Amino acid sequence: MSNKTQAPVNTTSQSPVKPWWLGIVVVLMGVVCLYSASELDNTARYSAIGPGMFVTAIGIGLVLLGLLLLIQIARGEKFEPQDTENAEGSTPMDKRAFFIALAAAFVPVFIIELLGLPVTAMVSFTLVTMAFGSKKIVLNLIIGFILGSASWYLFSLLGLQLGEFIPLLGV
Amino acid sequence: MDTLGLLLQGFEVALTPTNLFWALVGSTLGTAIGILPGIGPALTIALLLPVTVSVGPVSAFIMFAGVLYGAMYGGSTTSILINTPGEAGSMMTALEGNKMARSGRGAAALATAAIGSFVAGTLATLALTFAAPYIAELAFYFKPADYFALTIMAFTSVAVVMGSSRVRGFISLFIGLGFGVMGIDNMTGQPRMTFGFADLLDGMELTVVLVSLFAVGEIIYVASRYKNQKDDIVSVKGGMWMSKSDWKRSFMPWIRGTAIGFPMGALPGGGSEIPTMLSYTLEKNLTKHKDEFGKGAIEGVAGPEAANNAAAAGVLVPLLTLGLPTSATAAILLAAFQNFGLQPGPFLFTSNPELIWGLIASLYIGNAMLLVLNLPLIGIWVKLLLIPKPQLYAGILIFAMIGIWGVSGSVFDLACMALVGVMGYVMRVYDFPIPPLLIGLILGPMTENQLRTALAAGQGNPAVLVESPMSIVFLTVSFLFLFVPFLIKHLRAVA
Repeated sequence: MSNKTQAPVNTTSQSPVKPWWLGIVVVLMGVVCLYSASELDNTARYSAIGPGMFVTAIGIGLVLLGLLLLIQIARGEKFEPQDTENAEGSTPMDKRAFFIALAAAFVPVFIIELLGLPVTAMVSFTLVTMAFGSKKIVLNLIIGFILGSASWYLFSLLGLQLGEFIPLLGV
Repeated sequence: MDTLGLLLQGFEVALTPTNLFWALVGSTLGTAIGILPGIGPALTIALLLPVTVSVGPVSAFIMFAGVLYGAMYGGSTTSILINTPGEAGSMMTALEGNKMARSGRGAAALATAAIGSFVAGTLATLALTFAAPYIAELAFYFKPADYFALTIMAFTSVAVVMGSSRVRGFISLFIGLGFGVMGIDNMTGQPRMTFGFADLLDGMELTVVLVSLFAVGEIIYVASRYKNQKDDIVSVKGGMWMSKSDWKRSFMPWIRGTAIGFPMGALPGGGSEIPTMLSYTLEKNLTKHKDEFGKGAIEGVAGPEAANNAAAAGVLVPLLTLGLPTSATAAILLAAFQNFGLQPGPFLFTSNPELIWGLIASLYIGNAMLLVLNLPLIGIWVKLLLIPKPQLYAGILIFAMIGIWGVSGSVFDLACMALVGVMGYVMRVYDFPIPPLLIGLILGPMTENQLRTALAAGQGNPAVLVESPMSIVFLTVSFLFLFVPFLIKHLRAVA
């Protein structure tokens, strides 16, 4: 299946480095599927239609698609980052902003059980605003905390289980 | 009872004060999120899902319908006034609409978009009203093999049509299918692909995946490529209404747009991009004012806007009658049905007529409400664009976090949110379409079920899959979809 669907855009490609890892990751995902399918007990049922059949099919599909992607990459397939509102694909990546935004997404995993939703919301909120280049850190901390507390109160009223206000303090 | 009687009953349901209130909430929210960047109808419904459990299914779906239609109205507003089409369906509107606004005809552009959306929404809802029961009846004859072939058709069409590369579309789909098999196999009770995590025994929640891909992935992506520029909002001048010639020039494009949009929206993979492009191309060829195209021709706003709204209503046809989602928003609506323990499809029309017809009736009401909300109040809505971007995106992350933490209270799900968010980032950078993943995730289990049932009935012989004419047709169409990219390429070249 040759691929000729790319819109004829003449911008220079984002990076001269070929993203081999993309294809490899897809193949690996397929291998994971195939491996876990092989671990499933397929005996004692119609051998073809046990719980492993569909997983095997997905695994084969992913491996084949990953290989196709690798062939495309070898042939110099261009990957144009998507344009969305407030971001243009052609803009170079801002690594600092990327890592701060990433931290904002991962922070809740580590602190929400101890510090509760309002404080976690405050931290994540401020990190995202920093990633977007806002310099008013104190103001953002305050807005984040108010937004977090207000949503905590409101959504708890609506029946969501959001935990204690600040579990560490037992309140 | 005939369709009309059922529809009247539906209006009785939809016109109760409580449900009118929810329709208003949905329409207002929908318009707001249509105008705001970074948040769309699918994400909104996913985030609303946990709080609707106490509301009850009828009111919840009436609100969701308002969100679905409202987002279309809001999307056209930003396309016209600041030239930022939030989604593929509004791209064509921005083309002519923004030019109109710049030459001082913003009010007329907004009016033809809003009235066109209303006309198209109403006509398409009428078509839905009368077509849906017949299609649902047809679906009673479907055997598992037919359903299997139908889902295959949905898969290929979505993987091919959404996005720029078939290979990447299918990769997205297969990753979704992989997520879909996680958890306990409901036919044999065996845990699959759980990798020893007890949290995965229940499988991957569509809401978690959707919120992570759309909200978290988008926030990281936009942050890393943020263009800090003030939105150039064109102020609305030139009176609130359209001139006589505007009406004359808009009317037929509205009708033609609806005629294109509704059936294409109802087809799997039709989406909103192709019908709006088709409508734009058609109007460009039919108009007597060819010289105005590219400089702000009202036909180029009226047609695509109508097509866009009609397609949104069309998406509800396969969803309600066959339980087949064909867009990201439809996928989350299907998850919402399942959340309430309901399965859309032919049986819903007989087992739950109050819900189905209440929902359809509320589409008429929501459309009228949106016209009123949008035309005179446009000045207020535009004020939403004044929210500074850093705080806006930060706020979206908070709501995503609440949406996930509030449902499960599980740190594991929050870790999934961050990881799948990173995947959403990679998918945006390397241009993988996201809807196929969601469709694969929600439809995968159904496909597998039908496939295994069909094969079991045929004692493992795969020939049962191509025994009925229906399944042969579906599978052939699935194959033909692989060639659709050439058609799109041709359309893009013309437009």
